[in-house]
Amino acid sequence: MKKNLVYLGALIIILASCNKAETPSSENFDTLTSEVLSDFPAFIAIPQYGDLYTKASELETSVEQLIATPSDDKLSTARQAWRDMRSVWEKSEGYLFGPVEDNDYDPQMDTWPVDYVQMDSLLASSNPLEVSDIQALSTLSLRGFHPVEYVLWGKEGNRSAASLTDRQKKYIHSLSTDLKNICKSLSDSWNPAAGNFAQNLINAGKPGSVYATKLEAYLAITEAIIGICEEVGEGKMEEPFAALDSAIVESPFSGNSVTDFKNNIIGLQNVYFGKWTIDGRGLNEVVASRNMNLDNGMQQKIATAVSSFDAIKLPYEQAIFDQRTQIMNTQNALADLKDALENELKPFLIQNIRD
Amino acid sequence: MRVQKTLIVALLVSTPGLFMMCNKPGEFAEENYDPRLSGGAATVFDATSKSFSHMIEGLKEYDGHIHELGDGQFEQTFVTAPAPVNSGLGSVFNNVSCISCHHNDGKGTPTAGAVNSSLLFRLSLDGHDDHGAPVAVPGYGLQLQDVAVFGKQPEARINISYTETEFSFPDGEKVNLRQPEYTLYNPYYPMPAAYYLSPRLAPPVFGLGLIEAIPESTILSYSDEKDADGDGISGKPNYVWNPYTQKTELGRFGLKANAPSLQIQVAGAYQQDMGVTSYVFPNESSAGQSQGDVLKDDPEIPDSIMNSVVFYVRTLAVPARRNVTDADVSMGEKIFTQINCSGCHQPTLYTGVNVNLPTLSHQRIHPYTDLLLHDMGDGLADNRQDFLADGKEWRTSTLWGIGLFQKTNGTPFYLHDGRARTLEEAILWHGGEAERSKQAFVQLSTTERKSLIRFLKSL
Repeated sequence: MKKNLVYLGALIIILASCNKAETPSSENFDTLTSEVLSDFPAFIAIPQYGDLYTKASELETSVEQLIATPSDDKLSTARQAWRDMRSVWEKSEGYLFGPVEDNDYDPQMDTWPVDYVQMDSLLASSNPLEVSDIQALSTLSLRGFHPVEYVLWGKEGNRSAASLTDRQKKYIHSLSTDLKNICKSLSDSWNPAAGNFAQNLINAGKPGSVYATKLEAYLAITEAIIGICEEVGEGKMEEPFAALDSAIVESPFSGNSVTDFKNNIIGLQNVYFGKWTIDGRGLNEVVASRNMNLDNGMQQKIATAVSSFDAIKLPYEQAIFDQRTQIMNTQNALADLKDALENELKPFLIQNIRD
Repeated sequence: MRVQKTLIVALLVSTPGLFMMCNKPGEFAEENYDPRLSGGAATVFDATSKSFSHMIEGLKEYDGHIHELGDGQFEQTFVTAPAPVNSGLGSVFNNVSCISCHHNDGKGTPTAGAVNSSLLFRLSLDGHDDHGAPVAVPGYGLQLQDVAVFGKQPEARINISYTETEFSFPDGEKVNLRQPEYTLYNPYYPMPAAYYLSPRLAPPVFGLGLIEAIPESTILSYSDEKDADGDGISGKPNYVWNPYTQKTELGRFGLKANAPSLQIQVAGAYQQDMGVTSYVFPNESSAGQSQGDVLKDDPEIPDSIMNSVVFYVRTLAVPARRNVTDADVSMGEKIFTQINCSGCHQPTLYTGVNVNLPTLSHQRIHPYTDLLLHDMGDGLADNRQDFLADGKEWRTSTLWGIGLFQKTNGTPFYLHDGRARTLEEAILWHGGEAERSKQAFVQLSTTERKSLIRFLKSL
């Protein structure tokens, strides 16, 4: 009995000392957790939404050049501008919380599917197609990325510049301006000089922030990355995969779907590391400061999920028939990642962030 | 011998204990329950903007797939028929997807006719039909569709204006109350001289499987139509016609408890709000009207999709309470009972047994509703009858999750038409059977009032 007590005592001392050696002082930890929250707007949301606005302006310019003097070269420039803007947007879907969800910017830009019947009757009509007319349309399935995609690529992906009608040209011009305007509002909503949603993260836990505690802000970020992981693996990929239906693939005209999916998960990765173009402090530092093993595991699972997309070589609408194993591998990697986010990262945050 | 004696003594001591356990399963003293578990086993620990969107635990793998299928469908945008995907929108409608009104599976925004609008209007003429249902307005039906696909005309447009009045608490704190006024304009077809109009804001859709599982006998036990106990609160069940089962049933869902089942609620939303037909309601909302379509594509959604969306809302978990041990939250909870808010907003109910969904079965839940109709006074009256609900009666709203509306919606809106922007405003609009409680609320000290609000925000 006495011997046992001695062992027990030794064990407690060992455990206690292990604990101390790895743990930064709680003061440093609190500073770190605050810095990560203020880096989120500074290094991710504000610069990234700013880039989204720049890319939207570039799309608008390329569309203007296309419709001024149509040529297949200008058409491919416009298509590339669409892809470039799409890439920033899909990466920003790694954190769908705050103004983007509160003010419905997501459906305004990215409603799917395209309403062909309405679009045909709109284009066949004499209804004016100025930006204000576009904004007055009753459904969002006539606005945003996908109608632009449809006009730039055509239903079979083989549109030629010469075949664009005057009304199609006017329509995508106004759509691209509309997209640019929405991106401006979205970008402003985070900016300290305008909507300043940033202050909610910077001041999390203080009066005036929508987050009553810092933990709430961390959980908002975590639920957002869990959400996108689920959306890609169990929604966007699963639905056409399970139904064997290429009609329900997200970006079918441009064949851009696999890139879209991968960019969503790169967006998640960016959130974890706290970076857009410049590396700020991210969740990884918070985790590593108290549990190196968990951080390693998270990093590895994210990297596995991101790289798994590269095995899907075919456009997604074909891959659901011919590369099912590769799709399932990616879905498994996403399921593993989601499981780790929910059952390891989230409990870690709840346990460690006490303010 | 000694051993036997011990055994007998042990038996004697333990037997009453055993019997006590057998006697009242699941009923312990209040402090032995975790107060955070608003939905019992169907509770989820998440207080973010996604807190209304979680699947309950414990579903079988196959059921989980059905939930996910319904989740995906809940977000689908419908487009004009004929289309390869999500065909069947309109021709007249209120919005294009479930999620565009039930933002984050939560409550909506009280505007009408815009792409993010979540307010719809029920219409009717005087009287009721053979089943006790409201009488449809010729050319319009029972709901106004204020949006139309390109080339068609909305049935009418709605203008919403608010008149603000200032209310002062005895301690001097002021609250602005806004009374809405709704005006129809640009009708596509002549409106009758007299009609009834009732605004309905999209409510949250989580926890509905638990509400569905509350035994009828429990709901009826709260009913006190003649107010025999003299507390000023009567409480009346709504009995409504179920067009699918062709029976009169107890109404549970909807702001006036006018929907008997989740199936009717969901199918009604597809048909009336989006113009999408299903096996439950195979006719377009605009059938027989000049703008109705002539396509032979009904039902527009497969039965499996319809059923998966019903299953989805049935299996959405309830968010756990926060800050339950804070002193002011506990104080607010006591006040909630003291001023008899709990007279209608029943804190604790038990669900019945459901062998298919154990997580929803025999759960101790805290929805804060009795699911009965109550006279809420002139301020909130829509003056429109809906089965047994008269023009002043509304079904007691659930309060679970009410503290998270800001998270799920950005700007929170309360009450049936979203007129209240704060919980104080929402309480101050209570009248009729809730008048006594409202007056008691007004008379609370500043600290007590703040505690009550803190308690509500912990839900």
